[in-house]
Amino acid sequence: MFSSSQFDATSAFSGGGFMASQATQLNDSSLSPARSRETQGLVPVTVKQISEASHSGDEKPNFTINGVDVTNVTLIGMVYEKAERNTDVSFVLDDGTGRIKCRRWVNEAFDTKEMEEIRDGMYVRLYGHLKSFQGVKQVVAFSIRPVKNFDEISFHFIDCIHNHLRSRVTVEGTTTGHPPLTDSSLNTPVRNTSNGYQAPSSNPLYAQYSVDGLKDCDKLVLDYLNQHEDMSDERGVHVDELSRELKLPLDKIMLSLKTLGDDGLVYSTIDDNHYKKA
Amino acid sequence: MDMSNPAAFVNGELLPNYIGKRVRAVVQVLQSDGAVTIGKSTDDRQLTVRGLPQVPPMNYVEVTGIAENNQLINAEIWTDFGKKFDINSNNMLCRLANGEFKSLFL
Repeated sequence: MFSSSQFDATSAFSGGGFMASQATQLNDSSLSPARSRETQGLVPVTVKQISEASHSGDEKPNFTINGVDVTNVTLIGMVYEKAERNTDVSFVLDDGTGRIKCRRWVNEAFDTKEMEEIRDGMYVRLYGHLKSFQGVKQVVAFSIRPVKNFDEISFHFIDCIHNHLRSRVTVEGTTTGHPPLTDSSLNTPVRNTSNGYQAPSSNPLYAQYSVDGLKDCDKLVLDYLNQHEDMSDERGVHVDELSRELKLPLDKIMLSLKTLGDDGLVYSTIDDNHYKKA
Repeated sequence: MDMSNPAAFVNGELLPNYIGKRVRAVVQVLQSDGAVTIGKSTDDRQLTVRGLPQVPPMNYVEVTGIAENNQLINAEIWTDFGKKFDINSNNMLCRLANGEFKSLFL
């Protein structure tokens, strides 16, 4: 059954056509841990991503990027058009992908002090809240700090890519349909911890198996354990036997057993090499 | 929001794809006379930048400006990144931002 938070998330998707189908897919999914990612904490984004974020819900403004609800964001860019007023400081942030209007409310001495440091043309790291005001997206910043180590700029944009990949895996459940991340020089192991099917992409052995292939492997292992339930004694079936009989590499067997174990379908018996069906 | 004037992340290899357009590149300054700066891109190619002030040699500078030809950028904005900068990460970022993840940037 759906909790109220899940229901909210589903209705938030109703704005766009393709979102609806994704929502359906999520409902079908039995992988409940994936849901926890639907509303993320602080999301690294580019201005371009914000410009494409869909806005849904009038009462509770929600932005979705990649099908994931986004409220708090972090950006890195250059400050322009800084204008100070009594109650707030407004400026435009240009991160090279686009420009977005930002505002920082100045309530306390600390806010004033932090904003005094910020000047036009300066690289800053901004943390803020994504808002829509009269149909125009803007960021209400709660922290703006000058970038001191410029590697942070590269890091931020790589972080945006990483987060994009992670939410894509969460929403779609798989990475099929996209080229596997096999740019060997990049070596970006993207692993969806909530979904045991996703193999570490940095391992070339797994690159040749599709996600479906892994699912098949899970099924084969489960079927074998099923069939040999009576014949095997308390100890269950040894992993080497599974590997030999199913003609599959041992690490693939182990991966399947881990997945099945996580799902509560199998369990290890006398040691980590013997398994039985639950 | 203004999405009309983005600057593409480029290294030396990608610069020719953006001639006449706005780019951003990190170069290590080799020689600088106040008018023309010769530097090295993060993928170790020689680039020329016009419009930079004198920058201490070997410093990394990020320039944003129009790509005039395969090797020349007319700088509009520049930021001195100092002597320490991870060129590999930047080079990778240029490749990612022009490849599979271009939609996040341009």
